[in-house]
Amino acid sequence: MHVIVATDGSMQSLAAAKHLKSFADPTKITEVSVVAVLRPLASVAFADDVSGREFDGSFRDAAQSAVDAIAAVFDGWGPKVNKRIRSGSAANEIIKAAKQYDAGLVVVAAGGGGLSDAVLVGSTAQRVQHYAPCPVLVVRPAPRKKK
Amino acid sequence: MSDTATAPRPDEKDSELKRSITGRLLFFYTLGDVLGSGIYVLIGLVAAAVGGAFWIAFALGVAVAAITGAAYAELVTKYPQAAGASLYVNKAFGNRPLTFLITVSFLAASMAASGSLAVGFASYFSELWAAPPALLVSLVFVAILVVVNFIGITESVVINMLMTFVEVAGLLIVLIIGIVFVAQGNADFGVLTQIETGGDYSSPALAVLAGISFSFFAMTGFENTVNVAEETIEPYKAFPRSLVGGMLVAGLVYVLVSIAAALTVPVDTLAGSDAALLEVVKQGILPFSTDFMTNLFVVIALIAITNTTLVTIVTQPRILYGMAREDVVPAVFATIHPVRRSPWVGLIFSGVVVSLLLVIGTLVTASGGGIDLVGRLATVTVVLLLAIYALVIVSCLKLRGQDEHDEIFRANTPLLMVGLVGNLAILGFTVYDDPHSLIWCAGLLAVGGVLFLAEYFFGGKGTGATTPDLDETTAGKEA
Repeated sequence: MHVIVATDGSMQSLAAAKHLKSFADPTKITEVSVVAVLRPLASVAFADDVSGREFDGSFRDAAQSAVDAIAAVFDGWGPKVNKRIRSGSAANEIIKAAKQYDAGLVVVAAGGGGLSDAVLVGSTAQRVQHYAPCPVLVVRPAPRKKK
Repeated sequence: MSDTATAPRPDEKDSELKRSITGRLLFFYTLGDVLGSGIYVLIGLVAAAVGGAFWIAFALGVAVAAITGAAYAELVTKYPQAAGASLYVNKAFGNRPLTFLITVSFLAASMAASGSLAVGFASYFSELWAAPPALLVSLVFVAILVVVNFIGITESVVINMLMTFVEVAGLLIVLIIGIVFVAQGNADFGVLTQIETGGDYSSPALAVLAGISFSFFAMTGFENTVNVAEETIEPYKAFPRSLVGGMLVAGLVYVLVSIAAALTVPVDTLAGSDAALLEVVKQGILPFSTDFMTNLFVVIALIAITNTTLVTIVTQPRILYGMAREDVVPAVFATIHPVRRSPWVGLIFSGVVVSLLLVIGTLVTASGGGIDLVGRLATVTVVLLLAIYALVIVSCLKLRGQDEHDEIFRANTPLLMVGLVGNLAILGFTVYDDPHSLIWCAGLLAVGGVLFLAEYFFGGKGTGATTPDLDETTAGKEA
């Protein structure tokens, strides 16, 4: 099975990758493709929060470091790991990638569950869930512990 | 679901470096960006300065801008990153204060442009619904664009292209009216050579220079195409064609629209109008209900202005983000919304500064400051951008022989010289004609200075790259 792990450069997407690794059986997975999508017309085409690398003015470099950081999660796990950077609308490109690689699972991170999730329509995770050609694992953040 | 090895392997190289902006998209991005900024808003001012021959101002202005576009095309093929002028000047001079000044100037120009466009939006909007005060309309307009940008609707390449088609359609209406008018035999072509010398400007050359200066706002916007440089397929081919080609097409449209407007509407009427192109439609030359045509045209103009303003409002937080990651402004501007992945602090800040410009401008106007707010903010934009353009051309020439490789477009050197002189001449005239605009420029640049000082005194080194604590956001902690 080919698994796509999408990253938007957020810590939550790193958590999603780790979550997959925490329970999935690497012998059942042939390949993992880590996919980042640059949004050319956005204010910030790609923000990399996961690698800790300095931003050098290139959003493509930022996406590359994020993909490298996520791919590093799967080092030595077993399946072959591919790194992919695409460009366009995040949800569309993830869905396209899933079709193109004949994926058996897509792993995406979902938002914080705050106001922006409730009010604003069409988050990437929602659209991927609705239109992906295969099962989707949406990794949500843990609720904050009440003290 | 298939996990067999027989599935065709996607081309590795192709899928790893998948870019999405084609030359054609880049062309429409340029065209949409340039066409919306100004012709709808400023044509009255230009007509007032020059007289019936104001098309000459548009032709000469766009020529200077297209040459500047060629310099950008050369530099962007050399350094295909989104930073634009700041990056080029940094490469050419390696002087940090100068780079900072250019970056802040560009930010200020972009904010003034947003302000001018927002006021223009309000002028057209009042044709549809006159009740709400113009200031309120422009403030709501800016607020909506900030929210739209935050959600990410602006990222749709398709919407961008559709808006550009609508913009072109609006200008085509003006052209068709002109053609019908000429065909009816009513046109007096003599008006096209009339240059006003009885007014503020004594010589024809000065009147035309004033017209170029006022019209130049309509030529700006092309520099924002470097935003998508990294995502452009074969930039070596796409940029010269799409950037310079887009400018030339925009220039042709401007000249034809100016001619159509000058032929169909008395220059005095154009000169006195806040929404001058609307006057052309109101002449009732086409065999449709004038009310219907007017409303249609107003909606088209509003869409055109929105398209261009969106791009400027996308650019500002991007500049702030880049500066914050380099630790020259407070790190808070590098804050990315965890879900939307938008630089929301920078976005709100840009919205607030543009809103303040609008409020201050309206107060100054109301207290008898005797300024035209659209014109003033447009002038501020033009002064800042002309200085940047001139420096970009100098950087282009200075960087010849450096970082050269096969896939670089090379702009014609004598043309670049002409462009440099042109930019400086327009800059000189604009400052001479309206020295008060420098106060506004300084005010906007001071915003950058304040941010720098805030970072200098209160900011920590390297804070731009801070990441949230993983435990806070993690669901997938390994057990």
